[in-house]
Amino acid sequence: MNKILKIQNLTKNFGSISAVSNVNLEVEEGTIHSVIGPNGAGKSTFFNMISGVIPPSNGSVYYKDKDITGFESFKLPHMGIAKCFQITNVFPKLTVRENVWASIFSCSHKSKVDLFKSMNDFETIDKDTENIISDVGLSHKIDDKAEELSHGQQRMLEMAITLGAKPDLLLLDEPTQGLAPEATVEMTELIRKLSKNYTILLIEHKMHIVMEISKIITVLNFGEKIEEGTPNQIKNSKKVQDAYLGRK
Amino acid sequence: MMKNKYSFIALIIFLFVGPFLFPNATIAEMLIFGIVAISTNIMLGYTGMLSFGQALFFGTSAYISGLMLLGGFPLFLAIPVATLGSFIISLFIGYFCVKREGLYFICLTFAFNQMFYFIAYVWHDVTGGEDGLVGVERPAYIDSQLTFYIFTSMMFLFAVIALYKIVTSPLGLIFKLIRENANRAEAIGYNVRFYKLISFSIASTFTGLAGSLYVLIHSMVPIDQIHWLKSGDIIFMTLFGGVGSFLGPLIGVVGYIWLSDTFSIIWARWPLIMGVIFAIVVLYFRGGVSELLENLFKKYKSISKKTEHEQNIKNTKLN
Repeated sequence: MNKILKIQNLTKNFGSISAVSNVNLEVEEGTIHSVIGPNGAGKSTFFNMISGVIPPSNGSVYYKDKDITGFESFKLPHMGIAKCFQITNVFPKLTVRENVWASIFSCSHKSKVDLFKSMNDFETIDKDTENIISDVGLSHKIDDKAEELSHGQQRMLEMAITLGAKPDLLLLDEPTQGLAPEATVEMTELIRKLSKNYTILLIEHKMHIVMEISKIITVLNFGEKIEEGTPNQIKNSKKVQDAYLGRK
Repeated sequence: MMKNKYSFIALIIFLFVGPFLFPNATIAEMLIFGIVAISTNIMLGYTGMLSFGQALFFGTSAYISGLMLLGGFPLFLAIPVATLGSFIISLFIGYFCVKREGLYFICLTFAFNQMFYFIAYVWHDVTGGEDGLVGVERPAYIDSQLTFYIFTSMMFLFAVIALYKIVTSPLGLIFKLIRENANRAEAIGYNVRFYKLISFSIASTFTGLAGSLYVLIHSMVPIDQIHWLKSGDIIFMTLFGGVGSFLGPLIGVVGYIWLSDTFSIIWARWPLIMGVIFAIVVLYFRGGVSELLENLFKKYKSISKKTEHEQNIKNTKLN
Protein backbone atom coordinates (compact mmCIF):
# COMPACT_ATOMS: atom_id res chain seq x y z
CA MET A 1 0.00 0.00 0.00
CA ASN A 2 1.10 3.55 -0.79
CA LYS A 3 1.96 5.93 1.98
CA ILE A 4 0.05 9.09 1.09
CA LEU A 5 1.37 11.15 4.02
CA LYS A 6 4.77 10.84 5.66
CA ILE A 7 5.73 12.86 8.70
CA GLN A 8 9.33 12.89 9.81
CA ASN A 9 10.64 14.21 13.13
CA LEU A 10 7.94 16.87 13.34
CA THR A 11 8.68 19.26 16.19
CA LYS A 12 7.16 22.44 17.51
CA ASN A 13 8.74 24.50 20.25
CA PHE A 14 7.10 27.48 21.91
CA GLY A 15 10.06 29.12 23.61
CA SER A 16 11.54 26.49 25.86
CA ILE A 17 8.39 24.36 25.83
CA SER A 18 8.20 21.57 23.30
CA ALA A 19 4.54 21.04 22.28
CA VAL A 20 5.38 18.33 19.74
CA SER A 21 8.66 16.53 19.72
CA ASN A 22 10.15 14.40 16.93
CA VAL A 23 6.92 12.71 15.85
CA ASN A 24 7.15 10.26 12.94
CA LEU A 25 4.05 8.92 11.27
CA GLU A 26 3.00 7.37 7.97
CA VAL A 27 -0.57 7.28 6.69
CA GLU A 28 -1.52 4.46 4.35
CA GLU A 29 -3.70 5.36 1.38
CA GLY A 30 -7.38 4.41 1.74
CA THR A 31 -7.33 3.98 5.52
CA ILE A 32 -8.46 5.82 8.62
CA HIS A 33 -5.41 6.68 10.69
CA SER A 34 -6.24 8.20 14.05
CA VAL A 35 -4.14 10.28 16.41
CA ILE A 36 -5.22 10.20 20.03
CA GLY A 37 -3.86 11.36 23.34
CA PRO A 38 -4.91 12.85 26.65
CA ASN A 39 -5.60 16.59 26.98
CA GLY A 40 -2.48 18.63 26.24
CA ALA A 41 -0.82 15.77 24.35
CA GLY A 42 -0.09 18.10 21.41
CA LYS A 43 -2.71 16.70 19.01
CA SER A 44 -4.01 20.06 17.83
CA THR A 45 -0.52 21.54 17.41
CA PHE A 46 0.39 18.45 15.42
CA PHE A 47 -2.73 18.87 13.27
CA ASN A 48 -2.06 22.58 12.74
CA MET A 49 1.48 21.89 11.55
CA ILE A 50 0.30 19.36 8.98
CA SER A 51 -2.46 21.65 7.76
CA GLY A 52 -0.18 24.66 7.36
CA VAL A 53 -1.68 26.81 10.11
CA ILE A 54 1.57 26.98 12.06
CA PRO A 55 5.06 26.25 10.72
CA PRO A 56 7.01 23.48 12.45
CA SER A 57 10.25 24.25 14.30
CA ASN A 58 11.79 21.16 12.81
CA GLY A 59 10.95 18.09 10.74
CA SER A 60 9.17 17.48 7.46
CA VAL A 61 5.75 16.66 6.05
CA TYR A 62 5.58 14.76 2.75
CA TYR A 63 2.34 14.38 0.82
CA LYS A 64 2.49 11.96 -2.11
CA ASP A 65 6.30 12.19 -1.74
CA LYS A 66 6.27 15.97 -2.12
CA ASP A 67 7.70 18.05 0.70
CA ILE A 68 4.87 20.33 1.86
CA THR A 69 6.45 21.43 5.14
CA GLY A 70 5.33 24.93 6.10
CA PHE A 71 3.16 25.35 3.00
CA GLU A 72 0.55 28.08 3.46
CA SER A 73 -2.78 26.50 4.30
CA PHE A 74 -4.60 27.86 1.22
CA LYS A 75 -2.32 25.82 -1.06
CA LEU A 76 -3.21 22.46 0.48
CA PRO A 77 -6.78 22.04 -0.84
CA HIS A 78 -5.45 22.54 -4.37
CA MET A 79 -3.08 19.62 -3.81
CA GLY A 80 -5.81 17.32 -2.50
CA ILE A 81 -5.70 17.91 1.26
CA ALA A 82 -8.77 19.24 3.03
CA LYS A 83 -9.40 19.78 6.70
CA CYS A 84 -12.33 19.86 9.06
CA PHE A 85 -11.97 22.07 12.13
CA GLN A 86 -12.38 21.17 15.80
CA ILE A 87 -14.57 24.21 16.44
CA THR A 88 -17.43 24.65 13.99
CA ASN A 89 -16.06 26.85 11.28
CA VAL A 90 -18.58 27.81 8.64
CA PHE A 91 -19.64 31.05 6.94
CA PRO A 92 -22.59 32.01 9.16
CA LYS A 93 -24.38 34.66 7.11
CA LEU A 94 -24.17 32.66 3.87
CA THR A 95 -26.55 29.91 2.84
CA VAL A 96 -25.68 26.22 3.04
CA ARG A 97 -25.53 26.22 -0.77
CA GLU A 98 -23.10 29.17 -0.88
CA ASN A 99 -20.91 27.60 1.82
CA VAL A 100 -20.41 24.43 -0.19
CA TRP A 101 -20.42 26.09 -3.62
CA ALA A 102 -17.53 28.32 -2.62
CA SER A 103 -15.52 25.34 -1.46
CA ILE A 104 -16.03 23.44 -4.71
CA PHE A 105 -15.32 26.53 -6.80
CA SER A 106 -12.03 27.09 -4.99
CA CYS A 107 -10.52 23.88 -6.30
CA SER A 108 -12.32 23.58 -9.60
CA HIS A 109 -12.10 26.99 -11.29
CA LYS A 110 -9.59 26.94 -14.07
CA SER A 111 -8.59 30.54 -14.55
CA LYS A 112 -8.95 33.93 -12.93
CA VAL A 113 -11.47 34.81 -15.67
CA ASP A 114 -13.95 32.47 -13.96
CA LEU A 115 -13.94 34.82 -10.98
CA PHE A 116 -15.77 37.45 -13.01
CA LYS A 117 -18.34 35.19 -14.67
CA SER A 118 -21.94 34.98 -13.55
CA MET A 119 -22.67 32.54 -10.72
CA ASN A 120 -25.17 30.85 -13.04
CA ASP A 121 -22.45 29.77 -15.47
CA PHE A 122 -21.23 26.85 -13.36
CA GLU A 123 -23.72 24.03 -13.82
CA THR A 124 -21.33 21.26 -12.77
CA ILE A 125 -20.50 23.06 -9.54
CA ASP A 126 -24.22 23.58 -8.88
CA LYS A 127 -24.86 19.85 -9.30
CA ASP A 128 -21.86 18.83 -7.18
CA THR A 129 -23.01 21.26 -4.49
CA GLU A 130 -26.43 19.66 -4.30
CA ASN A 131 -24.94 16.14 -4.27
CA ILE A 132 -22.55 16.87 -1.41
CA ILE A 133 -25.25 18.62 0.61
CA SER A 134 -27.49 15.61 0.05
CA ASP A 135 -24.67 13.25 1.17
CA VAL A 136 -24.48 14.98 4.54
CA GLY A 137 -28.27 15.07 4.88
CA LEU A 138 -28.83 18.82 4.63
CA SER A 139 -30.85 19.00 1.38
CA HIS A 140 -33.88 20.35 3.25
CA LYS A 141 -31.77 23.24 4.59
CA ILE A 142 -29.96 24.10 1.37
CA ASP A 143 -31.17 27.70 1.17
CA ASP A 144 -31.04 28.42 4.89
CA LYS A 145 -28.30 30.54 6.32
CA ALA A 146 -25.59 28.55 8.10
CA GLU A 147 -26.20 30.48 11.32
CA GLU A 148 -29.79 29.20 11.39
CA LEU A 149 -28.69 25.54 11.59
CA SER A 150 -28.42 23.54 14.79
CA HIS A 151 -24.94 22.74 16.09
CA GLY A 152 -25.13 19.20 14.74
CA GLN A 153 -26.22 20.44 11.33
CA GLN A 154 -23.41 22.98 11.31
CA ARG A 155 -20.93 20.15 11.96
CA MET A 156 -22.39 18.33 8.97
CA LEU A 157 -22.09 21.50 6.91
CA GLU A 158 -18.50 21.81 8.04
CA MET A 159 -17.93 18.31 6.68
CA ALA A 160 -19.68 19.20 3.40
CA ILE A 161 -17.42 22.25 2.98
CA THR A 162 -14.41 20.01 3.55
CA LEU A 163 -15.61 17.49 0.98
CA GLY A 164 -16.19 20.29 -1.52
CA ALA A 165 -12.46 20.39 -2.18
CA LYS A 166 -12.73 16.80 -3.52
CA PRO A 167 -9.64 15.81 -1.57
CA ASP A 168 -7.59 12.63 -1.51
CA LEU A 169 -6.64 13.16 2.11
CA LEU A 170 -9.07 14.37 4.77
CA LEU A 171 -7.71 15.88 7.95
CA LEU A 172 -10.41 15.73 10.61
CA ASP A 173 -9.83 17.50 13.91
CA GLU A 174 -12.26 16.13 16.50
CA PRO A 175 -15.28 16.14 14.16
CA THR A 176 -17.61 14.90 16.92
CA GLN A 177 -16.65 17.70 19.32
CA GLY A 178 -19.74 19.07 21.09
CA LEU A 179 -22.18 16.76 19.31
CA ALA A 180 -25.15 15.11 21.01
CA PRO A 181 -24.95 11.28 21.20
CA GLU A 182 -27.32 10.76 18.23
CA ALA A 183 -25.42 13.26 16.08
CA THR A 184 -22.14 11.59 17.12
CA VAL A 185 -23.42 8.28 15.79
CA GLU A 186 -24.45 9.99 12.54
CA MET A 187 -21.04 11.62 12.18
CA THR A 188 -19.24 8.35 12.90
CA GLU A 189 -21.29 6.65 10.22
CA LEU A 190 -20.48 9.45 7.80
CA ILE A 191 -16.74 9.11 8.49
CA ARG A 192 -16.96 5.36 7.97
CA LYS A 193 -18.77 5.95 4.68
CA LEU A 194 -16.21 8.52 3.60
CA SER A 195 -13.32 6.16 4.29
CA LYS A 196 -14.35 4.17 1.22
CA ASN A 197 -13.38 7.09 -0.99
CA TYR A 198 -10.89 9.08 1.04
CA THR A 199 -7.80 8.59 3.18
CA ILE A 200 -8.53 10.04 6.60
CA LEU A 201 -6.22 11.34 9.30
CA LEU A 202 -8.46 11.68 12.32
CA ILE A 203 -7.67 13.53 15.52
CA GLU A 204 -10.21 12.43 18.10
CA HIS A 205 -10.49 12.01 21.83
CA LYS A 206 -13.61 9.83 21.96
CA MET A 207 -11.96 6.45 22.36
CA HIS A 208 -14.92 4.29 21.36
CA ILE A 209 -15.14 6.04 17.96
CA VAL A 210 -11.43 5.74 17.31
CA MET A 211 -11.40 2.06 18.29
CA GLU A 212 -14.42 1.37 16.12
CA ILE A 213 -13.35 2.92 12.84
CA SER A 214 -9.55 3.25 12.72
CA LYS A 215 -7.12 0.95 11.02
CA ILE A 216 -4.04 2.38 12.71
CA ILE A 217 -3.86 4.52 15.84
CA THR A 218 -0.97 6.73 16.91
CA VAL A 219 -0.90 7.82 20.54
CA LEU A 220 0.68 11.10 21.60
CA ASN A 221 1.51 12.11 25.15
CA PHE A 222 3.32 15.28 26.22
CA GLY A 223 4.09 15.93 22.55
CA GLU A 224 5.78 12.60 21.95
CA LYS A 225 4.64 9.50 20.13
CA ILE A 226 4.36 6.78 22.73
CA GLU A 227 2.63 4.02 20.78
CA GLU A 228 1.31 3.06 17.36
CA GLY A 229 -0.67 0.06 16.21
CA THR A 230 -4.04 -1.46 15.47
CA PRO A 231 -6.97 -0.68 17.79
CA ASN A 232 -6.44 -4.00 19.59
CA GLN A 233 -2.75 -3.35 20.14
CA ILE A 234 -3.51 0.11 21.49
CA LYS A 235 -6.24 -1.21 23.75
CA ASN A 236 -3.78 -3.63 25.35
CA SER A 237 -0.83 -1.27 25.50
CA LYS A 238 0.40 -0.62 29.03
CA LYS A 239 2.08 2.61 27.92
CA VAL A 240 -1.26 3.97 26.66
CA GLN A 241 -3.11 2.93 29.80
CA ASP A 242 -0.45 4.60 31.93
CA ALA A 243 -0.68 7.81 29.86
CA TYR A 244 -4.45 8.01 30.18
CA LEU A 245 -4.41 7.20 33.87
CA GLY A 246 -1.61 9.65 34.51
CA ARG A 247 0.81 6.94 35.70
CA LYS A 248 4.49 7.45 35.06
CA MET B 1 -33.36 39.26 -6.66
CA MET B 2 -36.70 41.10 -6.32
CA LYS B 3 -35.10 43.50 -3.88
CA ASN B 4 -32.39 44.33 -6.40
CA LYS B 5 -34.98 44.77 -9.16
CA TYR B 6 -36.88 47.34 -7.10
CA SER B 7 -33.63 49.07 -6.13
CA PHE B 8 -32.58 49.42 -9.76
CA ILE B 9 -36.00 50.74 -10.79
CA ALA B 10 -35.72 53.31 -7.97
CA LEU B 11 -32.24 54.20 -9.20
CA ILE B 12 -33.39 54.83 -12.75
CA ILE B 13 -36.27 56.98 -11.46
CA PHE B 14 -33.79 58.91 -9.31
CA LEU B 15 -31.56 59.56 -12.33
CA PHE B 16 -34.51 61.09 -14.18
CA VAL B 17 -36.00 63.01 -11.26
CA GLY B 18 -32.74 64.03 -9.54
CA PRO B 19 -31.94 67.07 -11.71
CA PHE B 20 -35.37 68.54 -10.89
CA LEU B 21 -34.86 68.06 -7.15
CA PHE B 22 -31.29 69.27 -6.69
CA PRO B 23 -29.05 71.93 -8.24
CA ASN B 24 -26.84 70.73 -11.09
CA ALA B 25 -23.58 70.69 -9.11
CA THR B 26 -25.26 68.91 -6.17
CA ILE B 27 -26.75 66.08 -8.22
CA ALA B 28 -23.43 65.61 -10.06
CA GLU B 29 -21.65 65.45 -6.72
CA MET B 30 -24.20 62.89 -5.49
CA LEU B 31 -23.57 60.62 -8.48
CA ILE B 32 -19.80 60.96 -8.22
CA PHE B 33 -19.75 60.21 -4.50
CA GLY B 34 -22.30 57.48 -5.24
CA ILE B 35 -19.57 55.69 -7.22
CA VAL B 36 -17.18 56.24 -4.31
CA ALA B 37 -19.57 54.90 -1.65
CA ILE B 38 -20.81 51.88 -3.64
CA SER B 39 -17.23 50.88 -4.49
CA THR B 40 -16.04 51.50 -0.93
CA ASN B 41 -18.80 49.15 0.17
CA ILE B 42 -17.17 46.34 -1.86
CA MET B 43 -14.31 46.62 0.59
CA LEU B 44 -16.24 47.61 3.72
CA GLY B 45 -19.57 45.77 3.49
CA TYR B 46 -18.63 42.82 1.31
CA THR B 47 -15.06 42.08 2.42
CA GLY B 48 -15.14 43.55 5.94
CA MET B 49 -12.19 45.93 5.56
CA LEU B 50 -12.43 49.46 6.93
CA SER B 51 -10.10 51.89 5.16
CA PHE B 52 -9.45 55.46 6.20
CA GLY B 53 -7.46 56.11 3.06
CA GLN B 54 -9.99 56.35 0.23
CA ALA B 55 -9.53 60.12 -0.14
CA LEU B 56 -5.98 59.34 -1.24
CA PHE B 57 -7.29 57.70 -4.41
CA PHE B 58 -10.08 60.20 -4.91
CA GLY B 59 -7.77 63.19 -4.56
CA THR B 60 -4.81 61.78 -6.46
CA SER B 61 -6.99 60.84 -9.38
CA ALA B 62 -8.64 64.27 -9.33
CA TYR B 63 -5.18 65.88 -9.48
CA ILE B 64 -4.02 63.63 -12.34
CA SER B 65 -7.18 64.27 -14.32
CA GLY B 66 -7.05 68.03 -13.60
CA LEU B 67 -3.38 68.32 -14.54
CA MET B 68 -3.94 66.44 -17.80
CA LEU B 69 -6.84 68.68 -18.74
CA LEU B 70 -4.75 71.74 -17.89
CA GLY B 71 -1.99 70.27 -20.07
CA GLY B 72 -4.38 70.11 -23.01
CA PHE B 73 -5.03 66.37 -23.01
CA PRO B 74 -8.54 65.26 -23.97
CA LEU B 75 -10.98 64.23 -21.24
CA PHE B 76 -11.29 60.72 -22.66
CA LEU B 77 -7.60 60.20 -22.05
CA ALA B 78 -7.49 62.02 -18.71
CA ILE B 79 -10.17 59.81 -17.11
CA PRO B 80 -8.62 56.40 -17.97
CA VAL B 81 -5.10 57.57 -17.11
CA ALA B 82 -6.23 58.96 -13.74
CA THR B 83 -8.20 55.77 -13.01
CA LEU B 84 -5.27 53.60 -14.04
CA GLY B 85 -3.07 55.72 -11.79
CA SER B 86 -5.37 54.94 -8.85
CA PHE B 87 -5.28 51.25 -9.72
CA ILE B 88 -1.47 51.16 -9.75
CA ILE B 89 -1.18 53.15 -6.51
CA SER B 90 -3.81 50.92 -4.88
CA LEU B 91 -1.82 47.80 -5.76
CA PHE B 92 1.32 49.29 -4.27
CA ILE B 93 -0.30 50.64 -1.08
CA GLY B 94 -2.71 47.73 -0.76
CA TYR B 95 0.19 45.26 -0.89
CA PHE B 96 1.47 46.68 2.41
CA CYS B 97 -1.91 47.40 4.01
CA VAL B 98 -3.42 43.91 3.58
CA LYS B 99 -0.47 42.43 5.43
CA ARG B 100 -2.23 43.67 8.57
CA GLU B 101 -5.78 43.33 9.86
CA GLY B 102 -8.26 45.37 11.89
CA LEU B 103 -6.89 48.41 13.65
CA TYR B 104 -3.45 48.06 12.08
CA PHE B 105 -4.95 47.95 8.60
CA ILE B 106 -6.93 51.12 9.37
CA CYS B 107 -3.80 52.85 10.70
CA LEU B 108 -1.81 51.96 7.59
CA THR B 109 -4.47 53.29 5.21
CA PHE B 110 -4.72 56.45 7.31
CA ALA B 111 -0.92 56.88 7.29
CA PHE B 112 -0.69 56.52 3.51
CA ASN B 113 -3.56 58.98 3.10
CA GLN B 114 -1.77 61.59 5.18
CA MET B 115 1.49 60.96 3.33
CA PHE B 116 -0.20 61.78 0.02
CA TYR B 117 -1.96 64.76 1.58
CA PHE B 118 1.34 66.29 2.66
CA ILE B 119 2.89 65.64 -0.74
CA ALA B 120 -0.05 67.51 -2.31
CA TYR B 121 0.27 70.25 0.33
CA VAL B 122 3.98 70.94 -0.15
CA TRP B 123 4.16 70.33 -3.91
CA HIS B 124 2.66 73.71 -4.57
CA ASP B 125 3.98 74.11 -8.13
CA VAL B 126 2.09 71.05 -9.33
CA THR B 127 -0.95 70.72 -7.08
CA GLY B 128 -1.50 74.34 -6.11
CA GLY B 129 -0.82 73.39 -2.48
CA GLU B 130 -3.27 74.87 -0.01
CA ASP B 131 -5.08 76.78 -2.77
CA GLY B 132 -5.89 73.61 -4.68
CA LEU B 133 -5.62 73.00 -8.39
CA VAL B 134 -7.62 75.70 -10.16
CA GLY B 135 -8.55 76.74 -13.69
CA VAL B 136 -9.49 73.33 -15.04
CA GLU B 137 -11.99 73.78 -17.82
CA ARG B 138 -14.69 71.40 -18.88
CA PRO B 139 -14.55 70.38 -22.55
CA ALA B 140 -17.10 72.25 -24.68
CA TYR B 141 -19.19 69.13 -25.43
CA ILE B 142 -20.14 68.73 -21.74
CA ASP B 143 -20.24 72.39 -20.86
CA SER B 144 -24.03 72.74 -20.69
CA GLN B 145 -25.90 71.57 -17.59
CA LEU B 146 -27.77 68.92 -19.56
CA THR B 147 -24.79 67.39 -21.35
CA PHE B 148 -22.71 67.38 -18.18
CA TYR B 149 -25.50 65.61 -16.30
CA ILE B 150 -25.94 63.04 -19.07
CA PHE B 151 -22.19 62.44 -19.10
CA THR B 152 -22.01 62.05 -15.30
CA SER B 153 -25.05 59.74 -15.29
CA MET B 154 -23.52 57.53 -17.98
CA MET B 155 -20.27 57.22 -16.06
CA PHE B 156 -22.23 56.52 -12.88
CA LEU B 157 -24.31 53.79 -14.57
CA PHE B 158 -21.21 52.23 -16.09
CA ALA B 159 -19.58 52.06 -12.63
CA VAL B 160 -22.73 50.71 -10.95
CA ILE B 161 -23.21 47.97 -13.56
CA ALA B 162 -19.54 46.96 -13.41
CA LEU B 163 -19.60 46.83 -9.60
CA TYR B 164 -22.88 44.90 -9.63
CA LYS B 165 -21.33 42.34 -11.99
CA ILE B 166 -18.49 41.94 -9.52
CA VAL B 167 -20.64 41.43 -6.43
CA THR B 168 -22.83 38.86 -8.19
CA SER B 169 -19.84 36.92 -9.55
CA PRO B 170 -17.83 34.24 -7.71
CA LEU B 171 -15.39 37.01 -6.78
CA GLY B 172 -18.18 38.75 -4.84
CA LEU B 173 -18.87 35.50 -3.01
CA ILE B 174 -15.18 35.16 -2.12
CA PHE B 175 -15.24 38.69 -0.65
CA LYS B 176 -18.19 37.65 1.53
CA LEU B 177 -16.34 34.50 2.63
CA ILE B 178 -13.45 36.64 3.82
CA ARG B 179 -15.80 38.96 5.71
CA GLU B 180 -17.55 36.02 7.34
CA ASN B 181 -14.59 33.83 8.22
CA ALA B 182 -11.17 34.57 6.77
CA ASN B 183 -9.52 31.51 8.36
CA ARG B 184 -12.07 29.16 6.85
CA ALA B 185 -11.77 30.87 3.45
CA GLU B 186 -8.02 30.23 3.62
CA ALA B 187 -8.62 26.61 4.62
CA ILE B 188 -10.78 25.92 1.57
CA GLY B 189 -8.09 27.23 -0.73
CA TYR B 190 -8.47 30.98 -1.10
CA ASN B 191 -5.41 33.16 -0.73
CA VAL B 192 -7.10 35.66 1.57
CA ARG B 193 -4.39 38.30 1.34
CA PHE B 194 -4.54 38.24 -2.46
CA TYR B 195 -8.32 38.62 -2.54
CA LYS B 196 -8.21 41.39 0.05
CA LEU B 197 -5.80 43.20 -2.25
CA ILE B 198 -8.20 42.69 -5.17
CA SER B 199 -11.08 44.08 -3.10
CA PHE B 200 -8.97 47.04 -1.99
CA SER B 201 -7.91 47.73 -5.57
CA ILE B 202 -11.44 47.51 -6.99
CA ALA B 203 -12.73 49.96 -4.37
CA SER B 204 -9.79 52.31 -4.88
CA THR B 205 -9.85 52.18 -8.69
CA PHE B 206 -13.54 53.11 -8.85
CA THR B 207 -12.95 55.78 -6.21
CA GLY B 208 -10.22 57.04 -8.53
CA LEU B 209 -12.64 57.05 -11.45
CA ALA B 210 -14.99 59.20 -9.38
CA GLY B 211 -12.11 61.52 -8.46
CA SER B 212 -11.22 62.00 -12.11
CA LEU B 213 -14.81 63.21 -12.71
CA TYR B 214 -14.99 65.39 -9.62
CA VAL B 215 -12.60 67.93 -11.09
CA LEU B 216 -15.23 68.75 -13.72
CA ILE B 217 -17.89 69.92 -11.26
CA HIS B 218 -16.23 73.04 -9.89
CA SER B 219 -13.34 73.18 -12.39
CA MET B 220 -10.89 72.74 -9.53
CA VAL B 221 -9.46 70.26 -7.02
CA PRO B 222 -9.57 71.64 -3.46
CA ILE B 223 -6.87 70.14 -1.27
CA ASP B 224 -9.43 68.89 1.25
CA GLN B 225 -10.45 66.24 -1.31
CA ILE B 226 -7.27 64.33 -0.44
CA HIS B 227 -7.43 64.95 3.32
CA TRP B 228 -8.22 62.05 5.65
CA LEU B 229 -11.38 63.86 6.78
CA LYS B 230 -12.74 63.20 3.30
CA SER B 231 -11.98 59.49 3.89
CA GLY B 232 -14.04 59.83 7.06
CA ASP B 233 -16.89 61.39 5.07
CA ILE B 234 -16.79 58.48 2.64
CA ILE B 235 -17.06 55.98 5.51
CA PHE B 236 -19.86 58.03 7.06
CA MET B 237 -21.84 58.15 3.81
CA THR B 238 -21.41 54.39 3.27
CA LEU B 239 -22.45 53.48 6.82
CA PHE B 240 -25.28 56.01 6.84
CA GLY B 241 -26.76 54.45 3.72
CA GLY B 242 -26.11 50.90 4.87
CA VAL B 243 -23.45 48.36 4.07
CA GLY B 244 -25.91 45.49 3.91
CA SER B 245 -27.14 46.18 0.39
CA PHE B 246 -25.53 47.01 -2.92
CA LEU B 247 -27.19 50.38 -3.51
CA GLY B 248 -27.63 51.28 0.17
CA PRO B 249 -24.53 53.52 0.25
CA LEU B 250 -26.05 55.68 -2.49
CA ILE B 251 -28.89 56.58 -0.13
CA GLY B 252 -26.22 57.59 2.38
CA VAL B 253 -24.54 59.83 -0.19
CA VAL B 254 -27.78 61.54 -1.23
CA GLY B 255 -28.80 61.99 2.43
CA TYR B 256 -25.39 63.24 3.53
CA ILE B 257 -24.91 65.74 0.70
CA TRP B 258 -28.49 67.02 0.96
CA LEU B 259 -28.31 67.35 4.75
CA SER B 260 -24.91 69.04 4.73
CA ASP B 261 -25.98 71.44 1.96
CA THR B 262 -29.20 72.28 3.82
CA PHE B 263 -27.75 72.64 7.33
CA SER B 264 -24.64 74.50 6.24
CA ILE B 265 -26.86 77.37 5.00
CA ILE B 266 -28.91 77.46 8.22
CA TRP B 267 -26.22 77.02 10.86
CA ALA B 268 -22.44 77.37 10.75
CA ARG B 269 -21.98 74.58 13.33
CA TRP B 270 -23.78 72.07 11.08
CA PRO B 271 -21.22 69.24 11.52
CA LEU B 272 -22.58 68.95 15.06
CA ILE B 273 -25.97 67.87 13.67
CA MET B 274 -24.27 65.39 11.33
CA GLY B 275 -22.41 63.97 14.33
CA VAL B 276 -25.67 63.43 16.20
CA ILE B 277 -27.24 61.76 13.16
CA PHE B 278 -24.20 59.50 12.78
CA ALA B 279 -24.37 58.52 16.45
CA ILE B 280 -28.09 57.67 16.11
CA VAL B 281 -27.45 55.55 13.00
CA VAL B 282 -24.60 53.64 14.62
CA LEU B 283 -26.53 53.11 17.86
CA TYR B 284 -29.97 52.24 16.53
CA PHE B 285 -29.79 51.54 12.78
CA ARG B 286 -26.69 49.44 12.25
CA GLY B 287 -27.85 48.54 8.77
CA GLY B 288 -28.19 52.22 7.85
CA VAL B 289 -31.08 53.96 6.15
CA SER B 290 -31.45 51.22 3.52
CA GLU B 291 -32.11 48.60 6.20
CA LEU B 292 -34.54 50.93 7.93
CA LEU B 293 -36.45 51.41 4.67
CA GLU B 294 -36.37 47.68 3.99
CA ASN B 295 -37.80 46.91 7.43
CA LEU B 296 -40.53 49.53 6.97
CA PHE B 297 -41.38 48.01 3.58
CA LYS B 298 -41.55 44.50 5.11
CA LYS B 299 -43.76 45.79 7.93
CA TYR B 300 -46.07 47.49 5.44
CA LYS B 301 -46.27 44.28 3.38
CA SER B 302 -47.08 42.13 6.42
CA ILE B 303 -49.78 44.59 7.57
CA SER B 304 -51.41 44.72 4.11
CA LYS B 305 -51.22 40.90 3.92
CA LYS B 306 -52.90 40.65 7.33
CA THR B 307 -55.64 43.11 6.30
CA GLU B 308 -56.21 41.18 3.09
CA HIS B 309 -56.44 37.93 5.04
CA GLU B 310 -58.98 39.43 7.49
CA GLN B 311 -61.00 40.79 4.57
CA ASN B 312 -61.04 37.33 2.98
CA ILE B 313 -62.32 35.76 6.22
CA LYS B 314 -65.06 38.44 6.44
CA ASN B 315 -66.09 37.80 2.84
CA THR B 316 -66.22 34.04 3.43
CA LYS B 317 -68.43 34.55 6.49
CA LEU B 318 -70.77 36.85 4.59
CA ASN B 319 -71.09 34.32 1.79
